[in-house]
Amino acid sequence: MIPYVNEYDTPECNTLAETAKKSIRTPASLGLDRCIQCGACTASCPAARFTDYSPRQIVKKVMENDRSVLESEMIWSCFYCYSCNVRCPRNNSPVTIVQVLRQMAINEGIGVEKLAYFLEIGEYLAENGASKVPGAGVKNMERDLGERWIRFKKNLESTRVELGLSSRDIRNTNGEVQAILEATGYFEREKWIKAKIQEKRLHRLLKNQCINKENKSGDFSFESDREYSGQPAFTI
Amino acid sequence: MKAIESIPDSQLLLFKSCMVGQEYPGVETSTRYVFDRLGVDYCINDKQSCCTGIGHYTDVFEGLTTTAIAARNFAVARSCGYPNITCLCSTCYAINKEACEVLNTNTEIREKVNSIFREQGLENLVYEKDDMNPRTNFYHAVEILLSKVNEIQKQKKFDFSGVKAAAHHACHYYKVKYLDVLGNPENPQLIDTIAAACGAEPVRWYEDRTLTCGMGFSQLHLNKDTSLQVTKTKLDSLQKAGVELMIHMCPNCHIQYDRYQPVIEEEFDVKYDMVHMNIAQFVALSMGAHPYKVCGFQTHSVPLEEFLEKKGIV
Repeated sequence: MIPYVNEYDTPECNTLAETAKKSIRTPASLGLDRCIQCGACTASCPAARFTDYSPRQIVKKVMENDRSVLESEMIWSCFYCYSCNVRCPRNNSPVTIVQVLRQMAINEGIGVEKLAYFLEIGEYLAENGASKVPGAGVKNMERDLGERWIRFKKNLESTRVELGLSSRDIRNTNGEVQAILEATGYFEREKWIKAKIQEKRLHRLLKNQCINKENKSGDFSFESDREYSGQPAFTI
Repeated sequence: MKAIESIPDSQLLLFKSCMVGQEYPGVETSTRYVFDRLGVDYCINDKQSCCTGIGHYTDVFEGLTTTAIAARNFAVARSCGYPNITCLCSTCYAINKEACEVLNTNTEIREKVNSIFREQGLENLVYEKDDMNPRTNFYHAVEILLSKVNEIQKQKKFDFSGVKAAAHHACHYYKVKYLDVLGNPENPQLIDTIAAACGAEPVRWYEDRTLTCGMGFSQLHLNKDTSLQVTKTKLDSLQKAGVELMIHMCPNCHIQYDRYQPVIEEEFDVKYDMVHMNIAQFVALSMGAHPYKVCGFQTHSVPLEEFLEKKGIV
């Protein structure tokens, strides 16, 4: 399959840094070129505290135009908490750069399986004008949160009525949201992502068991010889 | 930095939040209860859609879709005469504020969004540069409460004296657009100030006060271990500080702490003594609202009965 083009999130440029700076995801004043590798981002980062994740190293890779960063599991560990964004003394924003890198990875079909979980958000939004926790997430929550939460969810409609709200939180968008999602190319992209996930699953099925796990951790060995294994995906 | 005097109390579109609507509907009713009693001029408009935040930050929506949906909601706000978008959720706040900035400064995107609207016969949604101001048209409900803190104190029916409370200020309120925050983004005191007006004793500083809740959008589902470790870190620190009530301003954080506190207790073999509330629920309660018919505490995971009984509310 050909790579997907997503011109506003990942404008085609000669370098990763140029793409990051031009992207709609990053602030216009992005201080990427001013990064002094001080590590305030990593020091502030909740993911760095518990894993080998390092926003400073990611920014370094971007400045070096090292595209192997797109293959790194690391970029999927950011919490999008924006702590690095507020702390950076040079007005850089690793959190928004990581958003661009994830979009670039998705365009190339890397990591798309991580989106499988959330893809129904689009259709639900088009139909109801609201978002919800995706079905797979609900199943996880049912297992984690148990009876009390399941009971509350069952009673949600009557609870809302008791509070004087409509029984369901559905918005009256008159088909406009649906039309917008169609016209921005959202559904087309969603279809592409779903096909890509399918393709990868099939691929994995065909060559499963015979080979060792491929190392997709990217090369961060310049200062850490520990491989970044990421967290095991929480499967349902 | 925002000035407290500049916070408006009229023409507010109370921006519906999907996570509030589905998990803690009492946050919406409590906010309305309090706004009604403070004489705030607001409206709720069912035409307003989700901000796309959940999809945007799970990398499902691209920037163009997010910006176009935001532009539509801005048109909804303007056309009903309530252009001051006031959010219950910090992610709605950040998404809307950022989209407004993009629409005003990025001509290419603005024209693309408008051409989509025209193509679809939605001319009424077209956004002209500076139709909205990212600094003066976007608020979080907690800012409105803070601007009315004296009035809240005056109307207080129930005093929370002696309640040791801690605030969790949402990341997407104060770390995304950090130059436009009420107070110091490194140590916001919005919730603390409001809680103090209701008689509570806020723990002004505790270890890891600025740490994220740990939900991390996809992280709770993809990297659950790390996600819960982050949440546990702050709960540990609050336990050490002897906190009995944690006050929130964002439904995402609220889910992470309230829903997952029992999970963390079980998985990490720990025990916590704090209960959770949104600041609007807390203010409503102190102004005499019913804990179940207005505040909707029956939807919480950490039971509040014991807390409410101890404080003499029920």
